[in-house]
Amino acid sequence: MLQSQSVQLLCLTASSGVPLFSRGSTKQLPFSIIGSLNGVHMFGTGHDAALSCCETEQGGHVLWRVFHDSLMLIGVSSNANVSELHLRRLLENVWNCMVLVLGLDELANARNVERLKRELRSCYGLIDMLLERGVDDRDQGLMGDLTHCADCILLPQPDLIQDTLESFTRAAESSPNVALRLLCFQLLPGVIACVLCGPRPSLYQVENEQVCRFWSPLAENLRSCLDHAERSSLSPSVSLRRDVLALLLINRESRRSVTSLSTKATPHLSPARRWELLRLFYTFAVTRYFTSEESPSSECPTAELLHEEFSSGFTHLPVHCYLVTDECKCYAVQTPQHQLFLLTDLSVPTFTLRSVATHTLDAVTTATGF
Amino acid sequence: MAWVAAGSVMVSDWHRSPESREYFSKILHKKKRRKFGLLEAPVMPPHLKADIVRYKVFLSGKSGVGKTTLAARLAGLDMPNIHYETTGMETCAVFWPVKLRESGRILFFHFHLWDCGENATRRFDHMLPSCKEHADAILFLFSFTDRGSFEDLSSQMSRITEPSDRLVRLVVGTKFDLFMHTDVTERDITRFQEVLGVPVFRVGGDVSGGFGEIAPLLNALAENLWHQDCMHTSTSVPTVPSNSGHIGPEIIV
Ligand SMILES: Nc1nc2c(ncn2[C@@H]2O[C@H](COP(=O)(O)OP(=O)(O)O)[C@@H](O)[C@H]2O)c(=O)[nH]1
Ligand SMILES: [Mg+2]
Repeated sequence: MLQSQSVQLLCLTASSGVPLFSRGSTKQLPFSIIGSLNGVHMFGTGHDAALSCCETEQGGHVLWRVFHDSLMLIGVSSNANVSELHLRRLLENVWNCMVLVLGLDELANARNVERLKRELRSCYGLIDMLLERGVDDRDQGLMGDLTHCADCILLPQPDLIQDTLESFTRAAESSPNVALRLLCFQLLPGVIACVLCGPRPSLYQVENEQVCRFWSPLAENLRSCLDHAERSSLSPSVSLRRDVLALLLINRESRRSVTSLSTKATPHLSPARRWELLRLFYTFAVTRYFTSEESPSSECPTAELLHEEFSSGFTHLPVHCYLVTDECKCYAVQTPQHQLFLLTDLSVPTFTLRSVATHTLDAVTTATGF
Repeated sequence: MAWVAAGSVMVSDWHRSPESREYFSKILHKKKRRKFGLLEAPVMPPHLKADIVRYKVFLSGKSGVGKTTLAARLAGLDMPNIHYETTGMETCAVFWPVKLRESGRILFFHFHLWDCGENATRRFDHMLPSCKEHADAILFLFSFTDRGSFEDLSSQMSRITEPSDRLVRLVVGTKFDLFMHTDVTERDITRFQEVLGVPVFRVGGDVSGGFGEIAPLLNALAENLWHQDCMHTSTSVPTVPSNSGHIGPEIIV
């Protein structure tokens, strides 16, 4: 999924349409088109209509979002594999990353456009990473950009790590209310400890004193977690059926998720393809059936109304759905607490999918307490 | 202030000697540079034990001059192709084995490189002081393709350091591989070295030839830092100052 080649992202000031930056796609959109994209949105606003999204016959999309009445992001995709949900998440993620780097105040009350333009450059690295998501093998199995849930791994003995993390964050004077700095420490290749904290203690102090003090005794422990996580983000106490190819489990309350790929080799479906299918099936299910997951965000209540909704004409909310393709079978279940998205081998009889899925959900949640 | 001549404190080109092979193999992994997490360090077998000495090195220079690329080059990380303004502050670790000329003692230098995006230093007042806090050395960067960055060097140096700071100062000219576009001549460099008494190193291009491309700079950094510490300990009271963890070997297990 080389999205960067098919998605282009534009950022403009909302009030006057001054272009701030454009990322993605190697071929930039001509200025006149950028102007039109902004113009058509402004035209809508002038008539009390919010222009949210449009789709071409070939499956291309254009998506508009205005954040805090201050900046507008426009996502343009010419690739039918990039869903509207995906594009919408992308705009939200890009905005969030701009807030992370520059702060909400700087963005919502931008006074000096030239200065803002310059400062936004510090976000390009992160934004391009979001655009290129999926290109890198390391990203596989991470779904947070799409689900907006925290990707988790379930460890066999999490207590020691949990305790250490808590002592470490306490020593770094971390408090969610004071988020002046985000400090990230690469403990091992593949293991990073992050803390949000205020102006103190200094990076030097944390890196040179606390990181060693708290984490050194756990180095071996972390290494074995890495080994474990490479295989699955579920703990070893969970054994999945052999014909389950991949799964994504979401805890709807805590907004956390785990994913797993079966260790059984499936010659016709590479791991990369299975992750991709899982993302596509998730998108399919939450945009058509589990639409409540697309909870209207306070930012943009109008976008949700423009969705084709399954529920129109039906009085109930779907709790199961399935899909059979020529590559695999897919099944999703939702309960008040969880959502499970499952890919199985084609050999699984379709009429048993439901019980495979409910049993898997039971097995995983009982064994892990997730 | 004069600098230490190459090879006067440490064996120069030690990375070429067969004796060093086992030490250098500890900073390699599958023929590439090994990437060290904060909890990791090269571990030698007991009969070849080498102490680790730690130093903080700050990379200074304007946006786009090549700080992040230099850090990646020295640490053996992937070098960026396109310029991304560094988002905040980034640090990385470089381990480098050296052999002291007089005692024959072998040490692993641990250079902790600090790199900071220019926007970040402008937006947040604590960034620059934080980079300079406890720094043992500063690398001042200019680019061979940008004469302005070269001409700004001396004011840059006086802007962020005091003559009395106990700091090793080295100058690094980046993008030397783009010699077709060189805006800075050999004469300029020679004069600069004479007038300011600070050595200038040239870097650029791919790091294809192993350690050869980075050895001169890392060795010079090691020699000057070691020399600075020796001078300091010999002129001060012979107790190790409590807050200077870098004086004397600090051993990581
Ligand atoms: N050819 C060449 N390009 C370089 C060299 N050093 C940096 N660059 C390029 O110059 C640009 C800016 O480099 P970067 O390290 O990000 O600059 P920083 O802002 O100082 O961190 C990037 O596109 C690098 O690829 C070099 O030695 N040779
Ligand atoms: Mg940089």
